[in-house]
This record gives sequence, structure tokens and C-alpha cells, in this order.
Amino acid sequence: MIATRSPIVRLGIRAASPLALVIAAFLFFGGHNRPGGGFAAGLVLGAVVALRTVAGLQRSGGATTVLGAGGLLAGAVAVSPLLFGNTLLDQVVVSTDLPLLGTVKSGSAIIFDAGVTLIVVGLVMALLDGLSATDLAKDPGTRQSAS
Amino acid sequence: MIWALLGLHLIGCAVIAGIGDGLGNRVFAVAAGAPLVTSIWVIGRVGDANATTAQITWVAGLDLELAFRVGPLAALLTLVVSGIGVLVFGYAAGYFANGIAGVGRFTATLLAFSTAMVGLVWADSIWTLFVFWELTSITSFLLVGYKNTDADARLAARRALLITVAGGLVLLAGLVIMADSAGTGRLSEMTNIGGTSAAVASVLVLVAAATKSAQIPFHVWLPGAMAAPTPVSAYLHSATMVKAGVVLVALAGPIVGDAAPWTPLGISFGLGSMLWGAIGALRHRDAKLILAWGTISQLGLMVALLSVGSAKATFAAIGLLAAHAVFKAALFMVVGEIDVRTGTRRIDELSGLRASMPLTFAVALVSAASMAGLPPTLGFPAKEAAVEAALGLAGAEKAVLLSGVIAGSVLTVAYTTRLMIGLFGSKPDHTASAVAPSRLAMAIPIGILGVSTLAGFVGLGWVTTAVRAAAVQLNPSAEVYSLLRWPGLTTALFISTGIIAGGLAVGVVLARQTMSEPRAVGAQAVDELVAGVLHAARWTTGRVQHGSLPVYLVTMTVVATFAAVPFALGIDTSAVYLSDNGTQLVLAVLAVAGAVASTTVTSRLGAALALGAVGLAVAGLFVAHGAPDLALTQLLVETVVVVGFVLGLGHLHRRFPAADQVWVGVRLTVAGMLGVAVGAALIGSSSAPVGVPPVEDFVAESQTTGGGNNVVNVILTDMRALDTLGEIMVLVIVAVGILALAAPSRDETPALEGEPT
Repeated sequence: MIATRSPIVRLGIRAASPLALVIAAFLFFGGHNRPGGGFAAGLVLGAVVALRTVAGLQRSGGATTVLGAGGLLAGAVAVSPLLFGNTLLDQVVVSTDLPLLGTVKSGSAIIFDAGVTLIVVGLVMALLDGLSATDLAKDPGTRQSAS
Repeated sequence: MIWALLGLHLIGCAVIAGIGDGLGNRVFAVAAGAPLVTSIWVIGRVGDANATTAQITWVAGLDLELAFRVGPLAALLTLVVSGIGVLVFGYAAGYFANGIAGVGRFTATLLAFSTAMVGLVWADSIWTLFVFWELTSITSFLLVGYKNTDADARLAARRALLITVAGGLVLLAGLVIMADSAGTGRLSEMTNIGGTSAAVASVLVLVAAATKSAQIPFHVWLPGAMAAPTPVSAYLHSATMVKAGVVLVALAGPIVGDAAPWTPLGISFGLGSMLWGAIGALRHRDAKLILAWGTISQLGLMVALLSVGSAKATFAAIGLLAAHAVFKAALFMVVGEIDVRTGTRRIDELSGLRASMPLTFAVALVSAASMAGLPPTLGFPAKEAAVEAALGLAGAEKAVLLSGVIAGSVLTVAYTTRLMIGLFGSKPDHTASAVAPSRLAMAIPIGILGVSTLAGFVGLGWVTTAVRAAAVQLNPSAEVYSLLRWPGLTTALFISTGIIAGGLAVGVVLARQTMSEPRAVGAQAVDELVAGVLHAARWTTGRVQHGSLPVYLVTMTVVATFAAVPFALGIDTSAVYLSDNGTQLVLAVLAVAGAVASTTVTSRLGAALALGAVGLAVAGLFVAHGAPDLALTQLLVETVVVVGFVLGLGHLHRRFPAADQVWVGVRLTVAGMLGVAVGAALIGSSSAPVGVPPVEDFVAESQTTGGGNNVVNVILTDMRALDTLGEIMVLVIVAVGILALAAPSRDETPALEGEPT
């Protein structure tokens, strides 16, 4: 419906997607020192996915994979210090000098944050799935009633 | 060696579960491997006073360990479990037609049971004992319910599981009390404990034993369990699993046997079961049920003897246990063979089998003689020892036990006689039953068991050594006793002669009678209890989880309002002020206005937008307070929520239904109540701060350990990462819930059994 009726919306979403991705990355990596972080980045990505799905640019589905990946990633970061005799969720801080970005101090927390991001995106995808967002993008005539 | 044998069992289970279905009936030969090796290993250890041990400690401080100890008692029991196991697998190869479906699943479960049983008799740590005890219950459940398309079998399996597993929990409590009082979790290291804890533990242990060994009033599961295929009945419900309770009484006797309730309660269970079981056996006409009720009766005698606790009684009980395992397994197999070859096992339908199944008849005769306590079979010296043990007591104990044993034994001889006449006798008004050809795989194990009953009498010296060593492990004074082929003209012999004469007379008379079969009153009571619990659960769920979203919301709001009262009372009014600046005031008014609008507008999109306004106003409040992280998150959440609303509204009508407008007042009230409640709680909790906020510490810590300048995020991902981990797992669960709720119901879940449709 949205997809077929409004090419402007569709084009706009298509054009905005890469920008939103950059913003998400910015929030994600900047979160250590500035407002942002994994949760915020996940919400931005989730909004992108939601808009693209509504506009018919992609199909909903695959939430389970993303959720599973996120859960495993965060869980692995949480548990792995135990293997080295440290406490649960103990984190490693690495400081490196990179071109353009200067000194980047980061830690295993960022992987944990990536897990958070994936889970938030997965949650949004699950919502889209649950609300049959793909159906919504279609023409009213061809849409199947939600069961 | 212990690990190797257990490992062999487990490998056997895995292999059979994997490829068993493709092997046909050869799968039983594979399954017999591990029990065979075990029985060969253990046969040399029977009668050996030295124990073989093995253990792995898991948590040392909690005594959590896997500990095994194969002493004389365990060795004798292992010989029973694994030896009869081998024969049962051989028998099953003949019992089942080749190539039936699910043979791999069945055999793997049976071998798993065998493994659990071996682990149970080897267990030394209470935790090990408990785990294997429950494993035998679970495997028994699977085996009883093997015919899972048969509603009766499923019901019987559930009944058996509920009773035995409930008994297992009682056992756990008893074991923990025992270990706590004795200061060790090892059964072999426990000494006699006294006091209240011993009294409580003794009751718990006896109740647990009664559930497992089918003692009244917990016996109701055993007759139903006869729904299992006969190899299972022969193995689990006569020779091994039901013995677990007896073994438990034997093991616990030296530890809690001096407690006041032990002997009276044990004798009540035991003699009650012995008499009621024998009466049950006299009333039924299904040969398998007769044997099952007979098992209840025989186990009762063992429990009674063991709970008396004298050396002679213990010795006699172990002797009976060994003899019973051999003859009862044989009789079950005989009944199974008759069932397979004639198509029935009802004693009023069979005729002339003595002539048409001579070998089976011979084994049945020998085993029945053993069951009745006649020479020259193993049952005779064991029964004599039991009578001697009763005679050796004094006072009321002697009177009760002796009269109980005599009455029970007369009934035992009677039901044995009736069973034999019914199964093998020629009935004048019946033509001889048609008999299918013999199957070698069934005949051989039956023959071996029959010969064993005789060989046990001939080689009584070896049996005595084994039984005596096991009894000495429990009670050192048992050293002096022996099983005797010919006891001499003792009082016990005269009593036994009387028992046999009386029993034969009763049995012959009753064999000609047609009595009404008893109804399974106890089993019905259990089923009704279960149905009652399920009904109550459904009723409660129906009332609590009614599915009405508005009612849920109102309930939650009312509860939250009441919960907020204590906070509201704690508000320090002097610390409360309206606002820091005008911006806050404006934003707050906007938020409230949005909230009110969302309850009153008639357009759905309007309501969504009003909610969005509330969210944005709150985000603004965060900014005004200097919390950019919160504001950012709030804004993003609002954005996603708006997208969600657009999606949801796409499926709905533009406007709320007209009838909904009646409820505006209610909505406003509920929303207002919740707002006031939460507001009061927040003001209350923040108007009386305790101590200094640890902000400074957090800031310092975030830069040193977390390596970041944004305190909020360092707290989230490092300092309080465990909280975050929990929160994101909640998100995962929510997402999975959404997916599950939204998934179109592909297959209708069948209604629960007994559920009104």
C-alpha cells in the first residue's frame, strides 16, 4: 500500500537508509564517550528496518537469527572471562592509535554492546513479523487478513 | 572398572537409540552385552566382603559427588539386576515379533533402566542414590507407557510416575536429613543417628520405600503398570525396580533403625501389603495381575523383616529377595509365553496347558514351589529363615510378625495353587487351548531361571555365602546364620508344614470358585485426584488469566495504587517543590495534556500521536534535566513506537468503536490513578535520600576500569553489565513471545486428556 501509493516515501527511505546506518555506527562507537551506545544504535537500525519493510524494500522475517546471534554474542562475552579464571563479565580494555580516529580505547564491552544492538534490532524485526508488516506493504487487494 | 561398566551401558544405550530400529530383534543381543559383562564381573565379587569404589567429586563443600561402592549387598543385587537383565533381553527377542516398529526406542529405554538400576544399587553418595532412584522412575514411566497410543497404558504410566517420583522427593528429604545428622553424604560412612531427625528421616525413608516397592496404600500403581510388555513386567516390576524400596529399607535400617517410628511403621507397611497383596492375588483372574499382587505381598514380607532389623530377619529378607527375583521373573516370563502362544493369560480361559506346554509347566511348577516355600527350591530355605526370624523375636513384635507371616504365607500358598491350577489345569467345560509353536528365545531364559531356582537349592552353600556377606554388611551379627537344606524337626518346620497344608486346601477350593474381580479402587482414587488437580488448575487459570486486556490493566493499576501508598506516606513535604524552571513546567503540562488527549480522542491515529507527544515531552524533560543519554534513547524509542503504531493501525479501523466512548471516564480514572500512584512513589522515594549518591565514584571508576568517558554507558556495559545482560535476555524472551503469539496456529494442539471440549 505504502510502497505502491507513495514513490516519494519509498525513494526517501531508500536514500535515507545509508545515512541512518552511518548514524547508527556513530552512536554505537561513540557511545563509550558520548551519548549513544548499543541500545540507541539498535533502535536506529530497528527504525531503518521497520521503514524499509513498510515501504516494501525488504521482507520481514529472520528475527530469530538476529536475536540468536545477539544473545549468543552477549552471552559469550559474559561467560568467556570465566575460562581465563576471571569473574563473569570481566572486561578487557584495549587502547590503540588509529588513523583518522586518534587514540581509540575500547574493550570487550563493545562486543557485548554489539550483542545488545542485535537483540534490539531482532526485537523490532519480531514486532514487524508479528504485525505482518510485509503484508501491509502490499496492495490492499492482495493483502491477506492477519490470522 | 565401575566407570568402564557404566560407560559400556551408556554406549549401548546410545548405539541402540541411534541404529537400533534397523537391527530388528538382533538389537536385544546388542543390549544384552553390557549387562552380561557386568554380571560376569560381579559374580566373582559376590560374597566378597571387600568393596570396590569409584568417585568423582563435583562440589566438595556441598558433598556433591558421584560415588559408587560395590560391597557384598551391591554385588548380590547387581547379579540380580544384570543377570536377569541378560535373560530379559533374550526373552524379549522371542516375545516381540521381529521387525516391530519402535524396537530401538524400547530397547534403549530398557537398557537405560538397567543402567539406572545398576547405578542405584552401586550408589554410595546420597545424591547419586537419589539421581539413579529417579532415573529408574522415569525409565519405568517410559516403559509402562511404551504403547503410547493406548490410553490405559498412558494413564497407568502417569500414575506410576506420579507416585514413584513423589516418593523420590520424600526420599530426598529423608536423605538430606540423614546426611545432615550424620555429617556425611556417604551411606557407607553413616553411623546410627538418633533424636528427632532420625524419627523424621525414618518415616520419610519408609514412605519413599513404600512408593517404590508398591506397599499399601501406595501400591495402586503396580497393577496398572502391568500394561507394559511382559519383559518389562518381569524385569522392572518383579525382579528389580520394585526391589529398590526394599534395598533402601535395608540400607537405612542401620542408620535410622533405632528411631521410634521405624519398626511399627515398617511392619504396618510390610504386613499390610503382604496380606492385602495376597488377597488381591487370590481375587484376580488375569495371571499377570495375580503375579503383580503377589509381588506386592512378597515385597511386604521383605519390608516387614528388614524394618524389624534383627540379624536373623535381615538375613532372611536378603535370602527372600534373591529367591523372589529368580522365581518371580520366571513366572512372569511363563505368563508372557502363555500369552504369546495362546493369545490369553486369563486363568479362566486357559485349559490343558500342562500337556501342551510341558517344559513351561515344569519351570512354572518349580518357580511356584519356590514362591510357596516348598523344597527342593531356593524359596524353601529363605521362607524357613523368615519363619525362624519371626520366632526369634519377643513380645508383641513376635506375636504380630509371626501371625502376619503365617497368615500371609497361607494366602501365598493359596494363590500360588490357584494360579497353577488355573494356568495349567484341565477344565472340564473347556476344550484344550490352542497353542502356537514354542520360541527358542523365550524358552531358554525361562529354562535358565527354572534351573537356577533348583540349582540355588542344590548349591545352597554358595547362595548362603552371598546372602550372609550381604546381611553382614547391614548387621554384623548375621555372621552366624545359614540357609539350610534340611533344618531338622524345628518349630519353624512344623509351622511351614501347617502353612502349606492350609494354603493348598484354600487354594484348591478357591480355584474352583468364580469370584468377581476387584475394581481398581485405589487407582481410580489416584486418577480422580489428578483430574481434580487439573480441574482446579484450569478453573484458577480461567479466572486469573481471563484474557481481557482492560481488566488486566485495571487490576494492575489498582494493585500499583495500593503498592504506592507506603511511599506516598513517606513523602517529605518540605523537600517537594513544583519545578526548577519554566521549561520543565511547560513540558510537564504538555505531557499531561497528551496523556488526557490519548484517552479521549476518537481517532486511533490521534491517540497514537497523543502518546507520541507524551513521549517527546518526557524526552524534553530529560534534556532539561541534563540527561542527554536518556533523552536520546527516549526519542529513538518514540520513533520506533510510532512506526509500530503505523503498522498496527494499518490492520485496524481508523476510529475506535463507538461503544468505546462510554468508557472514557473509566480510562481517565485508571490512567489518573496510575499516574498519581507512580508519581507519589517516585516523589516518596526521592524525597528522602539516604547517604550521598555514588556519582563521583562512578565517574572515577568509569574512566579507570571501563576506559570510557560516558558514565551511563560504562555502567550499562561494564559496571552493571550483569543487569544489562538480564535486561537484554528479557528483550529476547519478549521477542520470542511476539513471534510465538503472532505465528499462525499451524496445528491445533490436541485438547488435554479428560478436558471437556
